[in-house]
Amino acid sequence: MVLTPSKPLRMWGVTDSPSADLYVPMIAVIEDIIDETPDTKTFRLRFEDDEYAQSFSWEPGQFVEVTVFGAGEAPIGFASDPAEKRFFELTVVARGKVTKAMHAMQKGDRLGIRGPLGNCWPLEAMKGMDIVIISGGCGLAPLRPAILHILRNRGDYGDFWLLYGARTPADRDYKYDLEKWAKRDDMHLLQTVDVADENWTETVGVVTVLLEKIKVNPENAVALTCGPPVMIKFSTIELLDMGFSEDRIVTSQERYMKCGVGKCGHCCVNHVYLCTEGPVFTYAQLRALPEFRL
Amino acid sequence: MRESEAAVLKKSDVSAFFGSLASDMRLIAPKEAFGGDVIFDAIESPKDIVWDYGHDIYPPKRFLLPHYEEMFRYDCRGRIHIQPAPKPSPQAIIGIRSCDISAIRFQERFFTQPIVDPYYKDRLDATVLFGLVCTKPPRRECFCICCDSGPWLESGFDVQLTDLGDRFLYEVGSDKGAKATEPRAYLLTPARSEDFAERRRLELQADSLFQTTSYIAKAITYISADEVPDEVWEELGSTCFRCGACTNLCPVCTCFTVDDVENTDGTFSRCRSWDSCQFSGFTREASGHNPRSAYGQRVQRRFYHKCSYQYIMRDGRHGCVGCGRCITACLTNLGLPDVVKRIRRAMHAYLEPETKRSEV
Repeated sequence: MVLTPSKPLRMWGVTDSPSADLYVPMIAVIEDIIDETPDTKTFRLRFEDDEYAQSFSWEPGQFVEVTVFGAGEAPIGFASDPAEKRFFELTVVARGKVTKAMHAMQKGDRLGIRGPLGNCWPLEAMKGMDIVIISGGCGLAPLRPAILHILRNRGDYGDFWLLYGARTPADRDYKYDLEKWAKRDDMHLLQTVDVADENWTETVGVVTVLLEKIKVNPENAVALTCGPPVMIKFSTIELLDMGFSEDRIVTSQERYMKCGVGKCGHCCVNHVYLCTEGPVFTYAQLRALPEFRL
Repeated sequence: MRESEAAVLKKSDVSAFFGSLASDMRLIAPKEAFGGDVIFDAIESPKDIVWDYGHDIYPPKRFLLPHYEEMFRYDCRGRIHIQPAPKPSPQAIIGIRSCDISAIRFQERFFTQPIVDPYYKDRLDATVLFGLVCTKPPRRECFCICCDSGPWLESGFDVQLTDLGDRFLYEVGSDKGAKATEPRAYLLTPARSEDFAERRRLELQADSLFQTTSYIAKAITYISADEVPDEVWEELGSTCFRCGACTNLCPVCTCFTVDDVENTDGTFSRCRSWDSCQFSGFTREASGHNPRSAYGQRVQRRFYHKCSYQYIMRDGRHGCVGCGRCITACLTNLGLPDVVKRIRRAMHAYLEPETKRSEV
């Protein structure tokens, strides 16, 4: 079966929002802030307008444009359980002007949210298949909704391998989740770090070394990847070597984005606007774009 | 349009006609600016219009996609209050050239499909385009004739004016054009067969006067198939100054960046302003990673967008209207016809059999 990333049921600007609001954010309140790593925090958000909050729905893989009032706007992927309707979470690394300003915010502060934007992981089409998820660093964040969805509907999917690489044990996101997932016997969690500390008992090295440890039949498996560009590149090469077909390697591609609705031109790769046609692509799709050639 | 729908506007009635139009909307037209340059700007009186202006280097696209545009304003001291930008008021762009009208139609398609950009659409809906045909190519860099965008247009204009000496042939091309004409129609007289004969004579004459031509079709083939070797792009990119003039003066280019700017009263404005794919910061991410860090990659980006089959399928036409501004603006001959020529030359050498090359 050929896999293609799903189109979301609702797409901002096309089907569910009046066009006048295309660039105007809705106000959301920070309900909680969770420290993940020294430079990463997870923000739990809820829309101020109750009616809007209840009608708001999104799918794993999608993202929003976050406005920090007084600083600017940045694209951030959803990171929470899609079945959770009371709030949603965004995991943010403090890197640029907006994300640094976001890290300085407190519980109860207000942000602007525009979305949901982009397409989603093909979770429907993946039913019945074995799943390999490869993520590096903060690349686990856009995959977390997919992981939580798979675990919630565990019976729909085959063998589940989660491979996660980070710089150091302390740089891992969602340590509270990783602990829980490591104890589950219906999934395999393999972790690696570049630099270990004295308590680290798992692998040391880049995330692709974990691929040598897994046992899957590529005929009936799908791989989801997200992480730094170099990690995606080498994972893809490795997966192709293992016998994964090009349309079973699914990646979330991130680029510098401004508008999120296919107009500003920043995230455009060849003729494809990653924000509206992506961010989720199969390698079969990416291969057609010269800029993404391996 | 059918000949029977065309009319004639006597030059002696031009002031009365556009004077009357000024009561309905703001008039934008080529006018003499400080220093003697002719640029498009708001005019006080129809007498300010410079009808024989040739060609302006700064395209009138900025009246639809302003160089700097406020999207909305917000106050984040205390409770956050967002105030949408005011709706644009009606305007007429008088004397706009066919290439620039074609570019606006290109932008219209881009900005309304599949997602509608409200700011561009509102401005375009409030704008009437009075095209002015170039009866002879105004500059030697003009090559609209190669780009299906002039000198005369079959469609796309609201009103198209052709200078016939003592009068203009006045063609209406849209409902918006008809609506703007109707209250002033008493100043028009029906066109006669000799008016059309004169237009046809001018068309034939104009076609023979173009000094720049560009065989884009071949470059489109090579670029679409990704056959142009990276070395060719690197060589082209090595001369680029990254000034961004080509994309800023291009009437087709639409890329913008978004910034939140603090106003003197303490509120903030979210503004969008023109950006250029030729700048290294265009794709640089917060982590410092830049997927398009090489100069050649950025030049390739520009020409892939202008001349690839993939974009033609998406946009309905290739992304060049032959206005020639990039030729004038570029300090290092990276105007479109020059690059097309260099790609064809390079590919010719590249595709030539090895033996033949060694004989040279």
